[in-house]
Amino acid sequence: MPQATALVGPSRGQRRTSLLLALPALSLLIVFFALPVLALLLRSVLEPAPGFSNYVTLLGSSTYSRILVNTFTVSAVVTVVTLLIGFPTAWALALMPPIWSRLVFGVLLLSMWTNLLTRTYAWMVLLQRTGVINRTLIDLGIIDQPLPLVNNLTGVTIGMTYIMLPFVILPLYGVIRRIDPAILQAAALCGATRAQAFRRVLLPLVMPGIAVGGLMVFVMSLGYFVTPALLGGTANMMLAELIAQFVQSLVNWGMGGAAALVLLSVTLSLYTLQLRLFGTSGLGGR
Amino acid sequence: MTLKVSLAALAAALALASPARADIVFTSWGGTTQAAQTSAWIGKFAEKSGTKVLQDGPTDYGKIKAMVEAGKPTWDVVDVEGDYAVQAGEKGLLEKLDFSIIDKSKLDPRFVTDYSVGSFYYSFVIGCNKEAAKTCPQNWAEVFDTQKFPGKRAFYKWSAPGVIEAALLADGIAADKLYPLDLDRAFKKLDTIKKDIVWWTGGAQSQQLLASGETPFGSFWNGRITAIEKTGIKVEASWDGNITAADSLVMPKGVKDKKAAMEFIAFATSAPAQADFAARTGYAPTNLDSAALMSPDIAKTLPDKQTARQINADMAYWAKNRDAIAERWYAWQSK
Repeated sequence: MPQATALVGPSRGQRRTSLLLALPALSLLIVFFALPVLALLLRSVLEPAPGFSNYVTLLGSSTYSRILVNTFTVSAVVTVVTLLIGFPTAWALALMPPIWSRLVFGVLLLSMWTNLLTRTYAWMVLLQRTGVINRTLIDLGIIDQPLPLVNNLTGVTIGMTYIMLPFVILPLYGVIRRIDPAILQAAALCGATRAQAFRRVLLPLVMPGIAVGGLMVFVMSLGYFVTPALLGGTANMMLAELIAQFVQSLVNWGMGGAAALVLLSVTLSLYTLQLRLFGTSGLGGR
Repeated sequence: MTLKVSLAALAAALALASPARADIVFTSWGGTTQAAQTSAWIGKFAEKSGTKVLQDGPTDYGKIKAMVEAGKPTWDVVDVEGDYAVQAGEKGLLEKLDFSIIDKSKLDPRFVTDYSVGSFYYSFVIGCNKEAAKTCPQNWAEVFDTQKFPGKRAFYKWSAPGVIEAALLADGIAADKLYPLDLDRAFKKLDTIKKDIVWWTGGAQSQQLLASGETPFGSFWNGRITAIEKTGIKVEASWDGNITAADSLVMPKGVKDKKAAMEFIAFATSAPAQADFAARTGYAPTNLDSAALMSPDIAKTLPDKQTARQINADMAYWAKNRDAIAERWYAWQSK
């Protein structure tokens, strides 16, 4: 049934063309990304001696498992907070007159183009004990002692949420814009309360956007490095920082490779899960 | 086929990008330190020898290892920590230096090995912001005394000589009995102030912490205190029990133009170049003849004038125990 397949998906010829088009980018990725990563992963089972000793150390030590748990906790907290702030923002953007939404998008993009280190240092100046926020609150007489806003989980969450927000707002905005406002009116006409309309009509429609944005934020957070290192305390160390430490300062590539494989497998399994549940629909395809 | 073509194009692009003449590449830690190295060493060396010195940074021990294993180091001279230099030399990652080109008779023997010479040396001193602190702690015991000196204090975050020594001195160990380090005792002492420590990861951050009063006092590289003083903020340094450590200049094994790299090291460690760098940074020269070339005002603020109450971190001990201490250090920190 050749006609049927032609209707369902791209033909074999089309598929070959698209593969050819992807080849330069793909080969670049293989040479400069896949091969070096593979080499590092190989070291995890070859150095210092062949075997799985690095993995035994990594998963057996309380320090490293604490860092692993920490990585997931921080990523989960950041994802939830980002969604809680990002969802209403995206909704508001979709309802705004275009002039206003363009302005807000401009601000969003401008923040994304500003150097990451600069932005993180700026948060440090705002959040620290002698920083703008604490000074203002103390001067207003709202608090006596400065609030601990930095060098802890609070600091990491604030700094990372700020950086991740565009990655939730942009896909959600796209999804919300595509929803026909008449659907919500229809729900109201059928007697749904506002909460019911939200929960049973809007939320299921927005779900792909939430899933894509949330997963993107979660996965990016898992590998995050600069912000936790600067805004977190030493107790908030994350896996990426540990890997950098193994590779750069301790020059223990066996352990570095083992930690990298753990991070990579978690990320890949999450991505697979996402594909299973939502397909590629939210990723920009249809 | 397409893969081959794109690889060929890539190789051609890379060949075009790399310099045709055999220049040397110097790598350091960036920031104000590398800027001073540029002014004091690199420009003048290029003028004198005609060898162009390209720069890279920051120093990365992982990259050094990768370059040496690949057999093609792209860094010719690297500024590294002193204990790393000793360890990497023993591990065969570095070229032996040619002391017929580098005159070691004038160099501070504390920082010379077969594979490295001192780049500059610095002290961990007790820095204090006089406007932010009610009173300034004068020695390590006071820095560890949270009753008399409440509030946050700053310490260097990474596993390196300095903090463990300070904890042991604060706990009453005599300066000449420090090594081998009693790690159990040091961590027990550090536990008593752990929640009051703000860790700094680099010089710029340490300056920000002290200048803003976020940490009114703590342990800092002496050059950074000098830098803050120049901006007009009232800070002071107590040199009681200052702990010295040095950076070293090394050549990764397999460097192409050894002679040019060796000549650069000889120039950078010469008396005038060392004096110039010291005057710009407040770090001490490793050339014994440099002090005579400097203005007495500046010379008297340098760590080499503070030897009476000075502790030299034992680089050989650190080189041998670097990895074991680091493992314990980071495990303790992340708890």
